[in-house]
Amino acid sequence: MKTFDPVQLAIPFFVLAVVLEIVLARMGKANARYEAKDTAMSLTMGLGSSIAGAILGGAVFAATVWVYQHRVFTIPMTAIWAWVILFFAEDLTYYWFHRIAHERRFWWASHVNHHTSTHYNLSTALRQTWTGGIVGTWLLWLPLSFLGFPPAMVAIQKGISLIYQFWIHTEAIKRMPRWFEAVFNTPSHHRVHHARNPRYLDANYAGILIIWDRMFGTFIPEVDEEPCRYGTVKNLASFNLFTNVFHEFIGIGKDLASSRSPREVVGYVFGPPGWSPDGSRDTSHTLKAKWRARLEREGRPVEKLAPTVVSEPRPEADLSKVG
Amino acid sequence: MDKALLIQLLGSAVAISLLIAIAAWARIARVTPPLDAEGARALLALEFPDDRIDALWIAADGAGVVARSGDRALVAWRKGDGYVARDLAWNAALAARADRGFLILKTADAAPRLVLKDGAWPPPEFVSQDVAA
Repeated sequence: MKTFDPVQLAIPFFVLAVVLEIVLARMGKANARYEAKDTAMSLTMGLGSSIAGAILGGAVFAATVWVYQHRVFTIPMTAIWAWVILFFAEDLTYYWFHRIAHERRFWWASHVNHHTSTHYNLSTALRQTWTGGIVGTWLLWLPLSFLGFPPAMVAIQKGISLIYQFWIHTEAIKRMPRWFEAVFNTPSHHRVHHARNPRYLDANYAGILIIWDRMFGTFIPEVDEEPCRYGTVKNLASFNLFTNVFHEFIGIGKDLASSRSPREVVGYVFGPPGWSPDGSRDTSHTLKAKWRARLEREGRPVEKLAPTVVSEPRPEADLSKVG
Repeated sequence: MDKALLIQLLGSAVAISLLIAIAAWARIARVTPPLDAEGARALLALEFPDDRIDALWIAADGAGVVARSGDRALVAWRKGDGYVARDLAWNAALAARADRGFLILKTADAAPRLVLKDGAWPPPEFVSQDVAA
């Protein structure tokens, strides 16, 4: 069956936008950094994700159709109000998918490979998971079909969300107009999401609308005094493609092999990334606590670090020698 | 395999190759000069902000650093135009193998190869530190 797929249509635009970002950066007209191996990893992940999606897509779509056959309402695909409701409902679903994908290790294992680049450019947007279908995050969208939204309609809206999220993976755009930053996910908000600085961890899960983060308390603004450093808390040691795809699953497997109780099994699989029985490893929560303690020791309480405040540069943060 | 799918896959592979070539041509990666003591300390301060540095050794090519922090060794090494950081037990770092001019450290999930200055490991500054400790 041939269906309308906005993502397929957008691929030429993705390619041209990446070329444009690179060329503008080369000309000194845009702020962007590209490293060839990193770019190769991102783009290959994107291709692999498409292949994985094609393999599992049929089963996922069949499950969605089955749920739709048992729907509560029948929502017409041609009604504007239906698209408006779906826009918000799908975006809210995405927010919770994304939050779970960061805060619970089993789903983080699938999503982490989107975050392993130490760069933040348009190619990073294409660094998509291969294992999303396996870990079952698509189940979160089934209630929309159960409510009565046609599966094709949900698929199109998911595609629109994915396309929207492409352009926000850039350092070339500093800030959008204030009203836009207040409502929509933007490059600035999403830079925070990709940052590994303790200040920025576990924040800004939005797809299109940033309002969900503001509502559920996960919004953190980007502050000029602390530039985002990208990647994961422990950056990957190699550019190996399969390491990138499976490293967290392998980590879970190793931890399970050394587990000594059901509590440990549950904690290693469904606890927050970094969970350990004795607390010897760092989670986002402990990293943030250590960061706050450092600020307190330095006499710079967190609450005084408002976004508009430009404080003195920290000597230890001078990375001009590091690059 | 379906012909249209094959064409799509080949087209994607060509497009990816071109984009990688353009990224390499542009030379817009981060500038990562060899580490000196100041740069190494700045890097370690970012990666291990709560750890005190007792002693420092920088690889001969400036692409890696090993630091002692109490009973731990803090290690950072270059990957692409950035750095990767890990830690391991200090004793394990001291006992690490030197092979054909490289120091091979074994961390929990990686084995960085750092270029030795004169092929010997551990360096005198670490040995004297150990004696003093």
